[in-house]
Amino acid sequence: MRYVPLTVLAACAVTAPAFATQYLSPEQAEKLMFPEADAFRPHPLALDTAQMRQVEQASGLPTRSAQWRVVGAYKGDTLLGYMVLDDVIGKFELISYAVGLNPDATVRQVEILAYRESHGSEIRLPAWRRQFVGKSARSGDLRIGAGINNISGATLSCTHVTDGVRRIAAVAQVALAR
Amino acid sequence: MIRRAQPWLGTLVEITVDDGAGQDAVTRAFAEIARLHALMSFHDRASDIARINRTLPGDVVDVDAATCDVLRLALHVADVSGGAFDIACAPWLVDRNILPAPAPDEVRPAPRASAGVFALEDDGRVVKLDAGWIDVGGIAKGYIVDAAVAVLQQAGAIEGCVNAGGDLRAFGAAPVPVAVRSPRAPGQAARHIMLCDEALATSGSYFSARVHEGGVVSALLDARDGRPLVAAASASVRAARCAVADALTKVVLATGDCRHPALAAFGATAFLT
Repeated sequence: MRYVPLTVLAACAVTAPAFATQYLSPEQAEKLMFPEADAFRPHPLALDTAQMRQVEQASGLPTRSAQWRVVGAYKGDTLLGYMVLDDVIGKFELISYAVGLNPDATVRQVEILAYRESHGSEIRLPAWRRQFVGKSARSGDLRIGAGINNISGATLSCTHVTDGVRRIAAVAQVALAR
Repeated sequence: MIRRAQPWLGTLVEITVDDGAGQDAVTRAFAEIARLHALMSFHDRASDIARINRTLPGDVVDVDAATCDVLRLALHVADVSGGAFDIACAPWLVDRNILPAPAPDEVRPAPRASAGVFALEDDGRVVKLDAGWIDVGGIAKGYIVDAAVAVLQQAGAIEGCVNAGGDLRAFGAAPVPVAVRSPRAPGQAARHIMLCDEALATSGSYFSARVHEGGVVSALLDARDGRPLVAAASASVRAARCAVADALTKVVLATGDCRHPALAAFGATAFLT
């Protein structure tokens, strides 16, 4: 069994959000984005201050983090591109997603990995939020039971994801493009 | 089941299909969604809609067959709803900063009925009749859901569901359970219903309502007079096609009438939540 922090289990048990879905694991996403790849290697990225400033200028958004979770996709020794993993927290939602990028830093594909909503008091608690940042993209951590319903309702904007994709495209332009 | 989601149409679009369909079918459906998104975007200057909005009265615009389909259905719904739904309502949305001005330097056109703003020629081209701005945000999500279902079925999918931020269509023999959000507690389901080979769309202002110049506005309005629709209730419509369901939710919300004749005209039913 995978290690799941007890605090996460406790938070889920207490708050049990109505709407949460796990779509893809990072491994499934990288295979969908780069079907021709025969190897995926971690490519952890740490931006320096100058690069963070460049990202802010290019995207018009705060860089938010110096550390980025990046995987390189290869066929033999040839680099096919990168996949960057990220999470965004909106007013009601926590979304883990992956951005596939070509070697020239153009966006190739965006896949949502996991989606989870909270409308109660728990999302306003910094501790609740902190538990998920950096963890949610890991396969399985946010699984809240199978057989989740489809939801019909007013449209929930995905501005946070589109901003996130723009920020990652800028990170790739500054630190990954060749 | 295969289940994937991507950000399109300003929301998350989710596709669920049987395993037999394969990932390729889902990838193809998302490609069609991306193509239609680019054609119907109000914001993208290269879209069919943006080009129609910038066109001067008397000029003709070439548009994709899909855009033409959406415009034809929009005119029909405007007609049978007595104008409660009308895509030429965009000037009001621009005034309220919900949409950006398509041509910032020009005088803002007055909102008028869409039948006076454009007409469709027999060859599928669009004639601009008078100054006006259109926004297909109230119908295109549903249309694109229908188009994605068609791609999935052509690719061999037997059953599944496409859900564009709450406007969805189930296909195949198996009933698909759907939760309708409670407008007062959007994290909870107000009711559960089963859909079998049909569409359900829901509109409500509980996520989009905000204060503008002292009043409350939302992305939803009554196209007859521009009145913002900010009631606490949400309107849901069941219909064979999601494009129809999507557009008719605005008619029900504007009129408060779950037995509006426009519903019967399309074989649709409605409920308020």
